Amino acid sequence: MGIDNSHDTVGCSPYNRESWDKVTGNTQYIDDLRFKGMLHAALLLSPHAHARIKSIDVSDALALDGVHAVIHCFTTPNILYNSAIRFYSDIDPSEMPCTERVFDQEVKFVGDRVAAVAAESEETARTAVKLIHVEYELLPSVYSLDEAVADAAVQATPFGISKTNLCGGWVAYGNQDEASVLQTIKQSPLQSVSTFRTSRVHHGYLEPVAHVAHYTPSKKLTLWTSSQSVFSFRDVLAQLVGLPQNAVRIIKTVSGGAFGGKLEVMHEPVVALLSMQTMRPVKIRLNRKEVFSSTRTRHEAIITLSSGYASNGRLIAQHVYSLLNTGAYAGSGPNTVGAQSGKTFVQYDAEAMYYRGACFYTNTPIAGAMRGYGCPQLMVAREVHMDGIARKLGIDPVQFRLQNLLLPDAKNCMGKPTHQALGRVCLEEGAKQFCWEERRKQAIAKSSGTTRYGIGVGTAVHGSGWYSVYQDMTSVTMMMNNDGSLQILTGIHDLGTGAKTVLAQIAAQTLHIPLDTIEVIEVDTAVSPLDLGAQASRSTYVGGNCVLECAQQIKEQLLEEASLMVGIDEQQFALGDGDVIEMVSGKRISFASIIDSAQKGLHGKQRQIAAVHSYASHTSVYSYSAVFAEVAIDVESGAIKVMEILCVHNSGTIINPAQCEGQVHGGVQMGLGYALSEEMEIDLETGRIKNPSFKGYHMFRSHQMPKISVTFIQGAEPSGPYGAKGIGECATDGVAGAVVNAVAHALGGVSIDHIPVHATYVKELLTQNYRVQ
Amino acid sequence: MLLGVVLSLYHFFLYIQDDFDYTVCCKGMYMEYRETVSFVLNGIERKLETKRAWTLLYVLREVYQLTGTKYGCGTGDCGACRVLIDNVAVNACSVPIHKVDGKTVLTIEGVAGDPQLSIIQQAFVEAHAIQCGFCTPGMVISAAGLLLHISEPTEKEIREALKDNLCRCTGYVHIIEAVKLASNKMKEVEDGH
Repeated sequence: MGIDNSHDTVGCSPYNRESWDKVTGNTQYIDDLRFKGMLHAALLLSPHAHARIKSIDVSDALALDGVHAVIHCFTTPNILYNSAIRFYSDIDPSEMPCTERVFDQEVKFVGDRVAAVAAESEETARTAVKLIHVEYELLPSVYSLDEAVADAAVQATPFGISKTNLCGGWVAYGNQDEASVLQTIKQSPLQSVSTFRTSRVHHGYLEPVAHVAHYTPSKKLTLWTSSQSVFSFRDVLAQLVGLPQNAVRIIKTVSGGAFGGKLEVMHEPVVALLSMQTMRPVKIRLNRKEVFSSTRTRHEAIITLSSGYASNGRLIAQHVYSLLNTGAYAGSGPNTVGAQSGKTFVQYDAEAMYYRGACFYTNTPIAGAMRGYGCPQLMVAREVHMDGIARKLGIDPVQFRLQNLLLPDAKNCMGKPTHQALGRVCLEEGAKQFCWEERRKQAIAKSSGTTRYGIGVGTAVHGSGWYSVYQDMTSVTMMMNNDGSLQILTGIHDLGTGAKTVLAQIAAQTLHIPLDTIEVIEVDTAVSPLDLGAQASRSTYVGGNCVLECAQQIKEQLLEEASLMVGIDEQQFALGDGDVIEMVSGKRISFASIIDSAQKGLHGKQRQIAAVHSYASHTSVYSYSAVFAEVAIDVESGAIKVMEILCVHNSGTIINPAQCEGQVHGGVQMGLGYALSEEMEIDLETGRIKNPSFKGYHMFRSHQMPKISVTFIQGAEPSGPYGAKGIGECATDGVAGAVVNAVAHALGGVSIDHIPVHATYVKELLTQNYRVQ
Repeated sequence: MLLGVVLSLYHFFLYIQDDFDYTVCCKGMYMEYRETVSFVLNGIERKLETKRAWTLLYVLREVYQLTGTKYGCGTGDCGACRVLIDNVAVNACSVPIHKVDGKTVLTIEGVAGDPQLSIIQQAFVEAHAIQCGFCTPGMVISAAGLLLHISEPTEKEIREALKDNLCRCTGYVHIIEAVKLASNKMKEVEDGH
């Protein structure tokens, strides 16, 4: 008989489960939490880029009415930690150097923590901060990446390897040794070398960083934070405050945007220590200027690509040399290099490839995880480099890429399987939809007067989870309620991306139950099973697989109990439309009656229908994209207007198309800013950020956005939940490359060597290179 | 009147200095003072004794616990704190409380109670216009400010009306669709469908 599975939702677009609370203003973000007796904290941030604190006088601050505590480097634990750990044992100094302290006697960038105040109101706390008197001994500092990597550079921190600014160590590997790869390039018929610089950008999440800590007389610490990885936060916090992990509870609040920027421990230890000192709940909420100066940023990069190739456009060998600016502390710097290195080998095919990269300390704000994690830097540098080769050879950029992108179901130069590497399909489909060849010609033809048009393309690739660079796993707990509805406890962090909705869809599909009978309960170290955080585009792929397998266990338990109840083999049953169905007779048994039977032990072992499942990801799969862009440039002002963007993505089966599209749209907005407008400008005299506000830091606004079209090349990934792969990071990786290549096209094939491409740079390019085609 | 002019000037000075404060506008200019401000907040008449030159945002969030209006930047650059004052969308972080004396203020919490404007909220949900949601209340308010004045806006008008509201999640695409959807739905209601 046919089974009605009207509750199957994979491939449909149910609304984000958090929408109604958010759209009515009912959602409580951290700053909206109110606790009885709550104090407010404010930070004193270093005005100097590098200095040693000789003394701190807090007497005036403490004397201010309403001030309860002031803490600083002379009153807090002197424990070194790394804010970006994932596993508890992540202490390898080459990957996770411990360089941070809650307060350090040596401040290393403008915005580093010097002291903190807890007071009755935010205003009082901020007033008290101004009454703290600090005596500094100024130390030499280094701000630019160029200076930091130079021989005999000023040491930004004491942690650089061998008295340099090298952080962690070099990541260097390829399918042959470096000398051989360089030799192959040299012996190739043609060679190209180009160096590209990418700027330091900020995540620009709308919710400012905020935390609340509450330590009570029972010696337990609870901390609310908009974290992307509560378990690693717990590990760091417990160590810093000297409590066992059971006494430290981290609750993830609804995230007001994160994009990697809330993956690393920030000021949580400060509020924890203030709460322990005052025995009151303590909240901190940074203002926007503080968010820019003392949170995390994307790594600034200088990437040099060298390629050897044949005159027919076939890539023979490629060498990537990447330098990243990790800022004042290590954090995830070495890991970002590692993650970037992996992307070298999974996009294009060549006989020989080699990656060499490292990050370096400077006396500038801390760089950290940000959507793409090293990949956007490499993708934009490489896609501009590849366009340069195509131009040199006089080959169409799409054709050139089609010749060199990896093939599916093959092996890359490292001998690793490429699985569903559908980058070429994305590119071909996009070229067709965008009318690439025609528009490429038209752009030149329609350029007249002061307006120049250009068409560009960029491709990108991103993983779904950490494997095989690192181990990856997550766990899920599922419990059937008495009425047949389902509780899912997950460590997967929903950052507003709709991860909870997707997980519910996967559970609904597996158990054939309505979405609204599934509750997904988000992350709290006291109740959630272990997860490693919202990162690496892993929520749908790793989290989804875990939910799928856990739901299958629930299904087995339901069928087993039904079999005991009816007395026929469990193979004779199936799930359908919210019931267990005896397939021959069509007789339905409700989940509620099966659950009742199990709980009372009426037919078998007395038990709860529940499962705890760990999923370890052991497949390294990649998502692919091809992005097409049209720009119009006003040659008088240098202003660039992006007219249109087409994104073609392969992320396997799309579980929730509307949400997935939303991810791509957001990725485009971030990529456009990266290409054209966003840059945290550091004053090279003082180390200060020149533009720490949304007025000075230009994120794309609604009226500046182009028309965006999104196409998904479906094709189930066998190892993915219902065939799905990740999307979050791939959504932004390829955008900047396409836009920069479009600008280069509009300007007659100029070589662009850095982003953002500001109007002033366009004018410079025009005077240097402009030629009418 | 003179106070208003001086405040506005000082306000502008602070604005360009990026030195706004969550709690009070005109920090440092005034010592404590008392003023009674009367206004209608989400349909309810309110009388507030202000002790400082509080921002409207501070009053909404800390006095009335209307936390749906968000602090995003404090400098009037992100739109997360948008409210309607006499049906015009403004940033509450940049409005000293005395400026709302005698006026009508509508926050996101008040939108749900308005049969016409709550259509916008429905449209935002249906158009998948909400991701992290932090910009959402301000976006809904800006959309309301637009639709109260132009019932059938063009896409260009929608983009212009939302340009002071930053969003980092959605690329604005679904938000713009939501405003179009809301406009259509409101028209249907008006036409009696």
